[in-house]
Amino acid sequence: MRARTRTLTGVLIAAALVAAGCSPTTDDGGGGDGKAKTQTGSISYEAADNQGPAKAVDGAKAGGTLTVMQNSDFEHLDPARNYVNVQQVTGGLLYRALNGYKEDGSGKLLLVGDLATSPGKDVNNDCKVWEFTLRDGVKYEDGSAVTSKDVAYGLARSFAANLNEGPHYIQQWLYPGGAYNATYQGPYDGGKAVPDGVETPDDRTIRFTFPQPHCDLPYAAALPTTAPVPAGKDTRANYDLRPFSSGPYKVKSYERDVALELERNPNWDPKTDPIRNAYPDRIRVTFGLEQAQIAERLVADAPADQAALSWTDVPPAVLPRTTAAGVVERVVKGPTQYTWVLSINTQRVTDLAIRRALNYAVDKDAALKALGGQAAGNPATTLMSPTTAGWQKYDVFNAPVTGDKAKVTELLAGKKPKLVLAHSNTELRTQQAEAIRKNLTDMGFDIVMKPIDNTSYYDEIGRKNNPYDLYLSGWGSDWPTGSTIIPPVYDGREIVDEGNNNVSYLNEPSVSAEVDRVRNLPAAQQDAAWMALDEKIMREYAPVVPCYYDATYELHGSKVGNAFLSDAFGIISLNGIHVKQ
Amino acid sequence: MVELPVPRSGEGPYLQVTDLRVRFDTEDGVVRAVDGVSFAVERGRTLGIVGESGSGKSVTSLAILGLHNPKRAAISGEISVGGRQLVGMPEEEVRRLRGRDMAMIFQDPLSALHPYYTVGKQIAEAYRVHHPRAGKREARTRAVDMLGRVGIPQPGKRFDQYPHEFSGGMRQRAMIAMALVNDPDLLIADEPTTALDVTVQAQILDLLSDLQEEFRSAIILITHDLGVVSQVADDVLVMYGGRAVERGSVEQVLRRPQHPYTWGLLSSVPSLHGDADADLVPIKGNPPSLINLPSGCAFHPRCRYAGRNGDRSRTEVPDLVPATERGHLVACHLPEAARQRLYRDEIARVGVAR
Amino acid sequence: MLRFVVRRLLVAAVTLAVISLVTFGLFFAVPSSPAKVMCGKNCTAADIAQVERRLGIDQPLPRQYTEFVKGVFVGRTYGEGDFRQDCPAPCLGYSFRNNQPVTKIIAQRAPVTFSIVLGGAVLWLTLGISLGMVSALRRGTALDRAAIGVTLAGASMQVYFFGLILLYLLVYSTGLLPFPSYTPLTENPARWAVGLLLPWMTLGFLNSALYARLARAQMLETLSEDFVRTARAKGLSARQVHTRHALRAAVTPIVTIAGLDIGTSLGGTFITETIFGLQGLGKATVEAVQFLNLPVVMATVLLAAVFIVVANIVVDVLYAVIDPRVRLS
Repeated sequence: MRARTRTLTGVLIAAALVAAGCSPTTDDGGGGDGKAKTQTGSISYEAADNQGPAKAVDGAKAGGTLTVMQNSDFEHLDPARNYVNVQQVTGGLLYRALNGYKEDGSGKLLLVGDLATSPGKDVNNDCKVWEFTLRDGVKYEDGSAVTSKDVAYGLARSFAANLNEGPHYIQQWLYPGGAYNATYQGPYDGGKAVPDGVETPDDRTIRFTFPQPHCDLPYAAALPTTAPVPAGKDTRANYDLRPFSSGPYKVKSYERDVALELERNPNWDPKTDPIRNAYPDRIRVTFGLEQAQIAERLVADAPADQAALSWTDVPPAVLPRTTAAGVVERVVKGPTQYTWVLSINTQRVTDLAIRRALNYAVDKDAALKALGGQAAGNPATTLMSPTTAGWQKYDVFNAPVTGDKAKVTELLAGKKPKLVLAHSNTELRTQQAEAIRKNLTDMGFDIVMKPIDNTSYYDEIGRKNNPYDLYLSGWGSDWPTGSTIIPPVYDGREIVDEGNNNVSYLNEPSVSAEVDRVRNLPAAQQDAAWMALDEKIMREYAPVVPCYYDATYELHGSKVGNAFLSDAFGIISLNGIHVKQ
Repeated sequence: MVELPVPRSGEGPYLQVTDLRVRFDTEDGVVRAVDGVSFAVERGRTLGIVGESGSGKSVTSLAILGLHNPKRAAISGEISVGGRQLVGMPEEEVRRLRGRDMAMIFQDPLSALHPYYTVGKQIAEAYRVHHPRAGKREARTRAVDMLGRVGIPQPGKRFDQYPHEFSGGMRQRAMIAMALVNDPDLLIADEPTTALDVTVQAQILDLLSDLQEEFRSAIILITHDLGVVSQVADDVLVMYGGRAVERGSVEQVLRRPQHPYTWGLLSSVPSLHGDADADLVPIKGNPPSLINLPSGCAFHPRCRYAGRNGDRSRTEVPDLVPATERGHLVACHLPEAARQRLYRDEIARVGVAR
Repeated sequence: MLRFVVRRLLVAAVTLAVISLVTFGLFFAVPSSPAKVMCGKNCTAADIAQVERRLGIDQPLPRQYTEFVKGVFVGRTYGEGDFRQDCPAPCLGYSFRNNQPVTKIIAQRAPVTFSIVLGGAVLWLTLGISLGMVSALRRGTALDRAAIGVTLAGASMQVYFFGLILLYLLVYSTGLLPFPSYTPLTENPARWAVGLLLPWMTLGFLNSALYARLARAQMLETLSEDFVRTARAKGLSARQVHTRHALRAAVTPIVTIAGLDIGTSLGGTFITETIFGLQGLGKATVEAVQFLNLPVVMATVLLAAVFIVVANIVVDVLYAVIDPRVRLS
């Protein structure tokens, strides 16, 4: 998932790094390391999980206004264009996709039907034909019923080039080979109303037929592109400003860059919704405050801000104050879907011994310290993040977090490899690269640093024949399974000339074969299989040095109840949140 | 019954200045701007005060109006205006006299008038300050009337014009109108014609004389121009280095001057009758520093005759003492006979004195 | 006067045309294509071309400029087919990021900046001029020295420093004031004022420093003017002399500087807006630059130029109003 969208790499990632700043890395350890929870989440077909209403939260009462203070406005709220986590969580209050994540803060993440009565029926048990039945009684803000045709139309419009910012998994699966919208470009300007492979035999049924098996479809169907859009309410580009509500809230007002105000959709029936409690009467998202201001206000907890929270990280300058009594219990922290790895260009560094030596050599603590320590992340040993379904901690190398010089010396066997370390030229990334250079030099490598302009960093390292050996990169899953991590980043068949996500350029047939095998496993068995492949890649090929799991560190006011970190989105969930009266 | 102008209580001169001293404490030292000056002006008469710049003329006039900043100027002596003692009088009371009983005409009317207000408005303001019950219209009528009295044509129209729209002479007339708007008994004119060309000068001086006749004011005319003094003044006070060096009637001081400094002044004025090239004899040297006044007679460093009395000129400050002629006072160590002889033989051949 | 204004407006129009050309040209000097920034990472060449077409930046430069100018006067349409977006005159561009004509964004943001600046200006002028005047009249006293000290502190302090101090003292630690927010004046004057009190105080204190020093110097100068002496010789009271005569003359250069200051500030007070989380023109500009939102950058830069040009004209007219010696012709 593009938790911090890549379009804005220059701005948002930089902001996130500023957030990390500098603070000691030595504290209790938070959600990282050995104590990290193990993901048990999976797709649930249990009737109890799939039935509304959502389980009541102890002590929660409906009412009040919840404020979310954000640094900058959303890029998009149109379900066809909604890809960023904060937008998805907000969009989830306005429209309901076929599936959704049911969470209660205990770490149990369940994928269940949202609009649909169950997370999708694999009709032929070959993952090629999927059928969803819509719940009865789901209504739009004007009281009209949500139909499967509206879901099909919503998906159809996501093919339009003008609405291309959202995720395109289902679109690509419907039209494999070539760009997702090479053949079909949506229902506009005379286009067909429904894409090939999508049928709506009646108003409550929608069926997808894919040329190839896609056992992940239940996850893809949780993305906003399966939210219903009635054709008559489609305002095209302007839909972004006011999506037609099928969820518990509707847009009351939206002043770009200032505030989005949501009020209740009176036609939303909690009995149809297994995911959302929707306790607050109003939700107000404000934009334009600096990270530090947001954090200061939430720390201060003035009456006006007590029912507020923010999805932005607490910046380092404010971190020390968040440990005080009265504040510390209002901190919500934990890992996000992102894992940062030091990618090794395996086309250039072909010697496995050197790659393994690098894994022993990297001082992960130093790399994190440059960003601000524990609040920014926790040392990593796996490719997938702890938020991934089926995640299990393993450590192939068992090196101390600061490196193991003896092992490095042994593996290098007298060689002093000369390696080019590329890094983004922002201040923090430069500091971080300098820490890595120093560390690797101490360990016996000959490191040359190569700064790259921040805005073209991913373009540069994504070029197949790039002249660099080492570079840091982050990747987050679009849904919490290994299928959006291992294949795009470690399957050699995905390598193209430019724009690669597989930036270690690992191209091992045995990995590709395993990817295919796992993909065709029943969904229930996939989670463990991806985790096993994760470990196999590290054990056999060591194409990267896992550096750290990205972490978030958020605050909420004292009148906000049931604020917990969503494992699906890596930010505070709004579905069960309530304002203490 | 014809009412004759009756001098106010107790007769005597309207303005009586006695042993006036004005001192400024500056960072460089104490400036004795006026150092023991006495004079008097009666109603209907004009006193000309002459001297170079820095001789204390203007400081004296500002002291009379009480315009010195009490924090920076130390004033002693006596200033009696119409029988009221001004030195030590509370500022508020002096303020009420200013502009009503005593008024002042300043040197450069362009800078002395506020550039942002119409001439009429400034005159009306001067009137209303002392006639708080007068309405706007009354003040306007009065101001227009005054503008007419001082010879400004179309006064009603001129009322609404700004100072920069007036010619130099007109501005000075307006200034005079402003000074006279409250019928003051004492009028101090500080170099009223310096900034004007000669023909306008004459008109303004005539105007002052006419107005004096009309209002019977006492006038002090401060100037460095002896020609002006000879035209207008009844009495003359010559100042040098903050002290009075000669005083007497116009006739006495200009025709039979007895102080070498006065001689110098007279010699440096071009004569209308003589040969301008040959006659002009400027006073050598520069006016003295008021912080560090020369010892003895302040004029001695520039005086050709200073050595004639041994060391006296250098050590002893000469008193202003009566000469033989009644009303004529001179502060010089030379014996009167010597002064009369020197003037006759060496000075009277040049300048306006001739 | 009328001729003066007409002539100045013509000059202003030419100035603005030049500025618009320069701004326009600058955008093509930026290293990354705005289309690419908008399109994102996994964007094909076709996608980029499509975004360029939508933004209208696939056209040759002169054509783009004439389209822009035409849009200002008659409006224009962006995009094609079902995705046409109308931008009615005066169209300063269309922001696809915000899905709004730029004029609408400006209409939203300008009142915020205007409120900050005008409220602040009232404060800093009143405070600055009275402090400077008192200081000039009590020259050399303890009061004067204290005032000089305070203004020196003010002049050497920065908005982001002083603003943050105020935030800590009045908002974060004591809660005496709410965190600044903008409520339209027409909606609720009291909330408008309370919400903007902090930025006003900050701007008021910091800028008044400059004005106090200026007013003091000007006042000292005019106090030694002949016409002030004349005023006193008339028998006017000290207060009348100081306000009606001395201040009136001293205020002229202050008006000039204040006019230009206000004009410049109206274009955006980015730092103040940022510190107090207010969504004014300054923040709009900087955000637009960050996101390479060219239509907004272009419009805000132009608008800032308009404010400065207009401020200049206003100052000139005011000058003539204050000082009758100045003839506008």
